[in-house]
Amino acid sequence: MADLEITNLCKRFGGLVAVNDVTFSLGCGEILGVIGPNGAGKTTFINLVSGVYLPTSGQISFKGRDITNVPAHRRAQMGISRTFQIIHPLENLTVVENVMLGFIFSRRKGLQEARRSAEALCESLGLTGITREVSQITMLELKKMEIAHALANDPSILFLDEVMAGLNVDETRELVTLVQRIAREHNIGVGVVEHVMSVIRDLTHRVIVLEAGEIIAAGPYEQVARDQRVIAAYLGGGA
Amino acid sequence: MTRAVRFALPAVVIAAAVVIPFVTGPYPLAVARSVLIYMALAVSWDMLLRSGQISFGIAGFFGIGAYAAAISVLRLGVPPLLSILCAGVFAALVAFLMGFVILRLRAVYFSITTLALAEIFRVIVQNWGDFTGGPEGMVLPSLIFKGDSRALYWLALGAVLLACAVSAFFQRSRLRFALTAIRNNELSARSSGIHIFKYLMIAFVTTSFIQGIVGGIQLQGYGYASPDSVFDAYYTLLPLAMALLGGIYSTPGPILGAILLGVAAEYLKLKIPYGHLVVYGIIIVLVILLMPQGLYGLYRKRSGLRAAARAPAAPAQKGATRG
Repeated sequence: MADLEITNLCKRFGGLVAVNDVTFSLGCGEILGVIGPNGAGKTTFINLVSGVYLPTSGQISFKGRDITNVPAHRRAQMGISRTFQIIHPLENLTVVENVMLGFIFSRRKGLQEARRSAEALCESLGLTGITREVSQITMLELKKMEIAHALANDPSILFLDEVMAGLNVDETRELVTLVQRIAREHNIGVGVVEHVMSVIRDLTHRVIVLEAGEIIAAGPYEQVARDQRVIAAYLGGGA
Repeated sequence: MTRAVRFALPAVVIAAAVVIPFVTGPYPLAVARSVLIYMALAVSWDMLLRSGQISFGIAGFFGIGAYAAAISVLRLGVPPLLSILCAGVFAALVAFLMGFVILRLRAVYFSITTLALAEIFRVIVQNWGDFTGGPEGMVLPSLIFKGDSRALYWLALGAVLLACAVSAFFQRSRLRFALTAIRNNELSARSSGIHIFKYLMIAFVTTSFIQGIVGGIQLQGYGYASPDSVFDAYYTLLPLAMALLGGIYSTPGPILGAILLGVAAEYLKLKIPYGHLVVYGIIIVLVILLMPQGLYGLYRKRSGLRAAARAPAAPAQKGATRG
């Protein structure tokens, strides 16, 4: 069953149409790739799903419930999580304290229980040294912490906004495996916004391609990668 | 700092503060009482600052508290001690209603609006005529505790203990996580399920309650409130400078700053009766430029570095096992 159903979603900023008539769905355990050239509306799209922006028109429903006008913090509590392209960790807190946030506020746990749960979650993601302050950890650890931060909400849907950016090949491979495991073990639908095509190829079951706010192609990676419109969108060429 | 010291130090400081009236003369006691008044304001200001909101409205809620106490005594016949509670409740109520509008503002817009709010309160009080006493203000027939200076000192100390207790609660509860996350990045905070407006409202109403209580205590201690005295920008500026000097985002910081700057302020007032406000301005600028974490922040950083130097291997080893 599809957990997240997006129907005819539009977002305009003044005269600019950032997302135009987007329709798709995402179910448990599925990994969906969202690709497109810079400025195609990928991050706007995540902001619409997570409730940072309200859409100009269209509908978003989650587990059969219309959530089009539900505020962002409520969506996090209901089970729609996301990471951020630019990570804003709480610099003066430790890693585990950063991960505790979702347990405290989305799952309404007490501080001690939240800490224990956050420790267990970090361990399951292979994130160690969690009593360090955020300023002392590596890029890969920071990315894992950002994912843990999102998983702490107990999501059914998780959007990853360019989570592989800034990682080397080995680190990327490790994180790809991790994301696959998360989708399987937590049985959640994962939306992956990514520029690295090998990641999209290895990770996703299905891909949608955005250009200028519209879906120009959808389907398995192999099919989408051969699509003439997609190639034109990426390479120019005025198709 | 070991665990024992962390519990013993506050106990010793509180005990020392309690016995001060027995060991000093009337003038130092009066200075100490005024320091305590500013200290409570400084701690309360810092509590809202933890959410990233810089309020310039301390004098506003302080003044509202003073007037609420005066009106409840003179117009409603409320007993003095209860009038102080009225002061806090009324200031909190005003903050709650105003909060629906001004807590939607951020950064400099929030700051300027709180500053304007304090001025609006002053203008209203000044022009209400007989009810608020107009520009002449209101005079109580008698002081609380018959004006006993020791009792007044302990009353002010009570306000500080209240502010510190609430501040410590903020630091130990989910409020710390909510306010820190909001200060850090609001989008990220919302993505963790934090209802930003709710937590800002809790912080704003709570700190305004404390500022109102302090205003009520000030009124009961001096028996007099006028628009120019209780809404004076001094009540905003001095607590702010104290918290910055001592170290923001903590309870001990504003306390430390209040003691240092409060005593210095008393001295400056005698030396430079008309220009001493300039000195606070200079202090604020210097602290922000040279020592943004304040004295307590500096101490915490130093002791943190020493702790790290003593046991450098512990966290590194843990990190190395990840393979």
